Amino acid sequence: MAETSAGPVPYVYVCTRMRVRKSKLIPREDYLRLLNMSIPEITRFIEETQYKREIDELASSFQGIDLIELALSWNLAKEYQSIQEISPGILKRFTRSYLRKWDIQNVLTIFRGKTQGMKPGKIREILVPAGEMDRVFLDRLVKEENPERILEALKGKSVYPVIAAGFATAITEESFAKIENELYKEFYANLLSEAMSGFKGGKQFLEYILLDIDMMNIRNMFRLRADRLLEKAGTMMIPGGTFSIGDFEDLIVLEDEKDFIEALKSKLKLKSLLVLLDELSSEKSLREIEIDLIKVQLAQMESLSKLNPFSIHPILTYLEKKKYEIFNLRAIARGKEVNLPTDRIRGYLVM
Amino acid sequence: MVGEELVGLTPEMIEASQAGMKALGAGLAVGLTGIATGIAEMAIGSAAVGATAENKDVFGLVLLLTVIPETIVIFGLVVSLLLLF
Repeated sequence: MAETSAGPVPYVYVCTRMRVRKSKLIPREDYLRLLNMSIPEITRFIEETQYKREIDELASSFQGIDLIELALSWNLAKEYQSIQEISPGILKRFTRSYLRKWDIQNVLTIFRGKTQGMKPGKIREILVPAGEMDRVFLDRLVKEENPERILEALKGKSVYPVIAAGFATAITEESFAKIENELYKEFYANLLSEAMSGFKGGKQFLEYILLDIDMMNIRNMFRLRADRLLEKAGTMMIPGGTFSIGDFEDLIVLEDEKDFIEALKSKLKLKSLLVLLDELSSEKSLREIEIDLIKVQLAQMESLSKLNPFSIHPILTYLEKKKYEIFNLRAIARGKEVNLPTDRIRGYLVM
Repeated sequence: MVGEELVGLTPEMIEASQAGMKALGAGLAVGLTGIATGIAEMAIGSAAVGATAENKDVFGLVLLLTVIPETIVIFGLVVSLLLLF
């Protein structure tokens, strides 16, 4: 493997490339400028950045919001695939495992789109073929007539057993939330076992996975409390992180917000997260809290990538930051399309 | 001890031995600093190639950064020349 034959050289090479790419991401000032632009102006703006090739390629067939959406998805998929190609040895394996998250997202998008009667073209726009399933395979799934045929086509893929087990209930209840939950639980369990299987660099990968699991569980706690979905809440938790199922259920049922925050703080060690929870006021909406949590996670990933400059961290930090750049641009474009006020769109941005 | 070992050596032999030691020292000075330069340039070079792959404009700058560890081997060369001449 590359890491045994060439020493640290491939790690230095790929981590430097990630740093350069990260420096090319759209800065905060540009988002503020984008908020004051119309859809054609946004298209022109992103054409002058890293999205030129996709915009040029798609401009003859699409326009307006469709052009932006598709160009962003294509660019993200291309970026993820190119990173998989240049990553050396074990980093490639870790990156590939991490990107399987997109398989879950893509398959669920297709199922949800199909059950809601969306047009195949519209579903295709938001798919990001970055995981195990490539564009051709996803196109095949999108073209299938009904969810049952999609399930058939998924046979042999890693997501199939979980989806097949919960498929009948999901169709009757018209909700894929339970399947989604189970898929993510399996996904994180696989990541944990891979990180702990003794590969070089697994320790750093494990640090990221534990951070991700904790942040996801905290986000879920806030969501479940806001929606008052307290029954069987333990089944929504992703195991493996700081919280046990008992902790999770105990925290969720706490009536008073202050008690909840205090109890949550007693379980956590991450300084920046404790500071955020200290400053959390009851006036903040769920969306604002979620955005703040994402910012804390990104800042923590950034500091991990500085602590371990030649590890999986710089790659994962870039992948996450790139994902949020796409989310931000999509939020701005969609917000402009439906004439949302600038302040409202700004509230959705991670910057 | 040293004196005992030198008993039986002619002045020519001692001179030749000193010249040999000098040559050995000079060789080590260049060789070891060369290896050290190589190790230092390994990481810088791979980072330089990575940075250039993403942004061709930095080629001149990274080339300069890559050759900075060459000073180590130059010092070694100077020391070896001082030893020999």
